[in-house]
Amino acid sequence: MIDLAVSRAAVEDFLYAEADILDAWDYDAWLALFEPGARFEVPTTDFRGWSAIESGSFVTDDWDLIKARVKRLKSRKAHAENPHSRTHRLVSNVRLHPITDPAAPLRVGPVSTNVALTARQFGDLSDSFRVTASFVVHRARDGEFDSYVGRYDHVLVPHEDGFRFRLRRSILGHEFLTAGARLSFIL
Amino acid sequence: MTHTMVAEDWDRQTFRVNREAYRSQQLFDAEREQIWGRSWLYLGHETELPNKNDFKVRTLAGRPLIFVRDGEGEIHAFLNSCPHRGTVVCRENEGNAKNFACFYHAWTFRSNGQVSSIPGLDAYPGDEAFRASMALRSVARLEIHEGYVFVAFTADVPPLLEHLGDAADYMTMIEQQHASGMTTLPGTQLYSVRGNWKLAVENAMDGYHFSPTHNTFVGYLRESGFAVTDDDQYAYTLQNGHLLLVLTGHGGRISMIWEPRFGEDERVRTQEHRAEMVQRLGERRAHYVADESHILFVYPNLLLFDIEGLSIRQLEPVSPGVTDVRAWQLVPKEEDPDARALRMRTVVSFVGPGGLATPDDIEAYEAVQRGIEATAGGGANDFSDMSRGLADEIKGVQGRSIDEGAMRGFWRHWVAAVAPAGLSVTGERPESFVTGRDVR
Ligand code: FES
Ligand SMILES: [Fe+2]
Repeated sequence: MIDLAVSRAAVEDFLYAEADILDAWDYDAWLALFEPGARFEVPTTDFRGWSAIESGSFVTDDWDLIKARVKRLKSRKAHAENPHSRTHRLVSNVRLHPITDPAAPLRVGPVSTNVALTARQFGDLSDSFRVTASFVVHRARDGEFDSYVGRYDHVLVPHEDGFRFRLRRSILGHEFLTAGARLSFIL
Repeated sequence: MTHTMVAEDWDRQTFRVNREAYRSQQLFDAEREQIWGRSWLYLGHETELPNKNDFKVRTLAGRPLIFVRDGEGEIHAFLNSCPHRGTVVCRENEGNAKNFACFYHAWTFRSNGQVSSIPGLDAYPGDEAFRASMALRSVARLEIHEGYVFVAFTADVPPLLEHLGDAADYMTMIEQQHASGMTTLPGTQLYSVRGNWKLAVENAMDGYHFSPTHNTFVGYLRESGFAVTDDDQYAYTLQNGHLLLVLTGHGGRISMIWEPRFGEDERVRTQEHRAEMVQRLGERRAHYVADESHILFVYPNLLLFDIEGLSIRQLEPVSPGVTDVRAWQLVPKEEDPDARALRMRTVVSFVGPGGLATPDDIEAYEAVQRGIEATAGGGANDFSDMSRGLADEIKGVQGRSIDEGAMRGFWRHWVAAVAPAGLSVTGERPESFVTGRDVR
């Protein structure tokens, strides 16, 4: 069992470092934060906790698609991000949660964003723990400036030099994506 | 609009569209009246309301509506506006409710629209006729085809099937894909785009942009062993402004056209499903249902992407330069869980504002919207060229998906509805000119 009392600062450092990596557009470094086989999900704004393999989503990337997404974003032909968006991320309200029962929803935030982790998608989770946090991503592009607000609901695995993502999930707090707010960058 | 909006020149084989059509508030207002006020509009899918008293609120042509299944199971679309003084009656986005209560003076309405109570009714004439006259106002017309619910704000529209014409059968083909029928899933992509709604229609009907715009996606397909091709792919103009692209070469389709990235299990499932379809539909029909990808535009606000998977996309013009988009995934009611998981992963990897392809489409039409400001007031320079493939069509050769024939079909229909005086025709349309497709 992971000692949550001592590791929160380390998890915060991990999330802050990730935010800097993404703001610096360093996608090789970002990919290195994932364990092979990991997933990346961004549910839709009407999310009520359903599984991404049974519902529409904005992003439901398995490991192959995470790699394809990184490859795409590094290309000059990813037109929606050429030129790149300028982003500035704030991460806060970081909390750690042991995974005692993967099928039990996490009691955090609005009930509607609680989602159980299905064994079908995530396998054995006894070596991992869950971290929730709030994010604000400010984004400038095309003479516009938008903000994206939401909650992270990640599954992290301890690693010799910190942590790795097994699941990276960004749950938007918006009712819909406002004009121009396509998710061509990483939320 | 008396100045030229659409210029067809059969002698020079050119087709040009005035960029004012994407910018002008006056034309936007005319569209609201002549198109959105007078045609069948796609409201939503019946399966979005699986239970009695389920409701969704939705804005169509700028009008707040309540899309609801009443206590008897009937589908309704009410104007979301209290008959008393106009308050929005339902302020939730969705839910299940037997009654809608207006908070302002507490009038209440049943899910079938009838008044359930009016506080202090004794101050009114109070008879049944008065109560009946205060029911929630319905849209003028509502009809359903294969689960797709359409409404009209005027009673003066033809029957829905007449309006849909040949498009109706392509919707039926989708329903026939699986013996269990189709249903929408939760998880709606709700997003807005800084571009005119007509650019979203053009983009969907534009096979020419696929390789350059989706260069990174094409690369991903090639790496996973799929040979991308533009051969044998066609664009059709159906009646009443509906449009059709027939595609095969831009990716497989879950349970229909296998490709390597779908894996071996899916290959087996696809073969079994194909055999089942031949049994159920016959070889010829199964061929049209299974072996082609379709992108169907149902004029004016519905796009059905029957490609990797099935996406329903609805367009809601907000202003000349802003369009709200809503997209649902349509899936077989009964589907192998592995196939379902593969379907969702595959569909979402391409379509939607977080996919690997749609963001580039949005970038494209947002860039058009910005770029067309450059030529405003520029006379002959203020036109977009949509001549590609016209030379073939004149010879009687069916237009290709990588040409602009479907777009021309759209604009001919649009100009007749919105700005008939703005159509300029030079020369004569040759007899050999081809339109339409009907596989019934
Ligand atoms: S406006 Fe609805 S009860 Fe008065
Ligand atoms: Fe595209």
